[in-house]
Amino acid sequence: MHEIATIDYIIIALYLAGMIGVGLWFSKKHTDFEDFFLAGRSLTTPLLITTLISTYYGIDVLFGDSQLGFTNGVVAWFAYARPTYAFFLIAAFLLARRLKEENFKTLPDILDKYYGKKTRYVGAVTSFIYSLPALSLYGFGMLGEVILGWEPILGMLVLGGIALTYTLTGGFWAVALTDSIQFVLMCVVLAMAFPFAMKLIGGFDTMVEVLEPSYFDTMGDLSIWLIIIYASTGLSILVEPTFYQRIFAAKSYKNVRNALVIGIFIWGSYDWIITILAMAAKVAVIQGTLPFDVAPDAALLTVMVAALPAGALGLFMAGVLSTEMSTLDSYCLVAGGNVAYDIYKPAFKPDATDQELIKTTRHGILLSWVLGFAMAISFDQMLGLWVFMASILISSVMAPILLGMYVPSFRKPLAGFLSAGLGLVSTVILNIYIMTQGVYSAEEETFIIQWFGIDFMQEFIMYITVPISLISFFVGVVFDKGEPS
Amino acid sequence: MNNWEIFTWITVFILGFGSVAVFIFFVKDIKEILKKFNKK
Repeated sequence: MHEIATIDYIIIALYLAGMIGVGLWFSKKHTDFEDFFLAGRSLTTPLLITTLISTYYGIDVLFGDSQLGFTNGVVAWFAYARPTYAFFLIAAFLLARRLKEENFKTLPDILDKYYGKKTRYVGAVTSFIYSLPALSLYGFGMLGEVILGWEPILGMLVLGGIALTYTLTGGFWAVALTDSIQFVLMCVVLAMAFPFAMKLIGGFDTMVEVLEPSYFDTMGDLSIWLIIIYASTGLSILVEPTFYQRIFAAKSYKNVRNALVIGIFIWGSYDWIITILAMAAKVAVIQGTLPFDVAPDAALLTVMVAALPAGALGLFMAGVLSTEMSTLDSYCLVAGGNVAYDIYKPAFKPDATDQELIKTTRHGILLSWVLGFAMAISFDQMLGLWVFMASILISSVMAPILLGMYVPSFRKPLAGFLSAGLGLVSTVILNIYIMTQGVYSAEEETFIIQWFGIDFMQEFIMYITVPISLISFFVGVVFDKGEPS
Repeated sequence: MNNWEIFTWITVFILGFGSVAVFIFFVKDIKEILKKFNKK
């Protein structure tokens, strides 16, 4: 196994310094809130591709995909990653055009237009909770420990602090530019890693020979219910606040459409290579090159440390840090916008100036970071938190946004408020209930509770909360006798 | 070389060269954007 060399540390340090430099450069250049929050609505196709890809591919994808690839094989790509591309296509051809037709700034703006202020606030709270950077900060703790030998809290504070600094100072311009550098770094490094991994294990044919045939079964041995849930988490793209922010920040609809269509090929390639590298890690474990007790979610990182030479390893580490920084910065910015633009301005100061909004957004960014940090150090099982985050948007705002967007006669205030509100409340209550009253199963890697003789997994919550949100919506449509907005 | 390996090399090509190509277009665009900022 290689040691991490001085050159690797120098590369990582240069990368981190560069990120802060970009933030500081932009710190005094914003003219108004739209410039700070949406980069003046001037993102072109290449900028959209880089910022979309790097934002969605955080450490949860890097280690979540690789964990499933390590334990189950190619099903990680076919069942977990691939359905998301279909939702990206829907977003490219059906959703983005509608969203670009209006002058929206945030996701709650849409709820406000369709259902009024109350639903806007529910949407803002949902978006704020969803955007809390707890998982990213937890990831920084893990990366700091593996890459730099730091205590997890130090990794969270230093690495997360750097991303916080350039987001606070530079706004969306800094986020988009750093995302672009991070994008090329993470893609090139991952592409480069494949031949090194194959060299380590003795080639692709060895992998086919060593792994069980089920590793190459496209549907693996996962239950159909779990596959449906994995696939449906891709639905969240249709109501994802950072995704919407990028659509609003685009120069035109065509830019968004082209970026998504090109992006799908890069996303697909990225997911596939992660899956294959994780499977290579499994081979290395069987061959005895890697320790037999390597944790599935650390397999990718471990095999890369073993396979890559000095210099390339530093680039890979910087690429992994990039993956996480580009996610944290984007979500903190959206959370800050929710506080300033979606709550502070309409509820407390309708005549707030652009400078006041930028200042309050910065406070909101800081607040989201601190809350995310508190969650990251409080939760033992981050997977439970991930399931909660993934389900909250789909269960709360998906029904009112999509139904309101395509059926104008459904735009009734009571429908939006009941659907978003009850969806949010039921998701929060059920997740907390299962995480506190259920048992964590190391085998299933999730919380499980016994209900009516069934092992009910935390992932299955959406089977309850989405119907609650939908039924509440239609109850609201029926009982709200007013005219649609 | 089996089909899985051929598919993997195609994805390596797309990811490596594709991302560099996108980045080159990004640099072209960003030059214009930065010029606007400097004018401001």
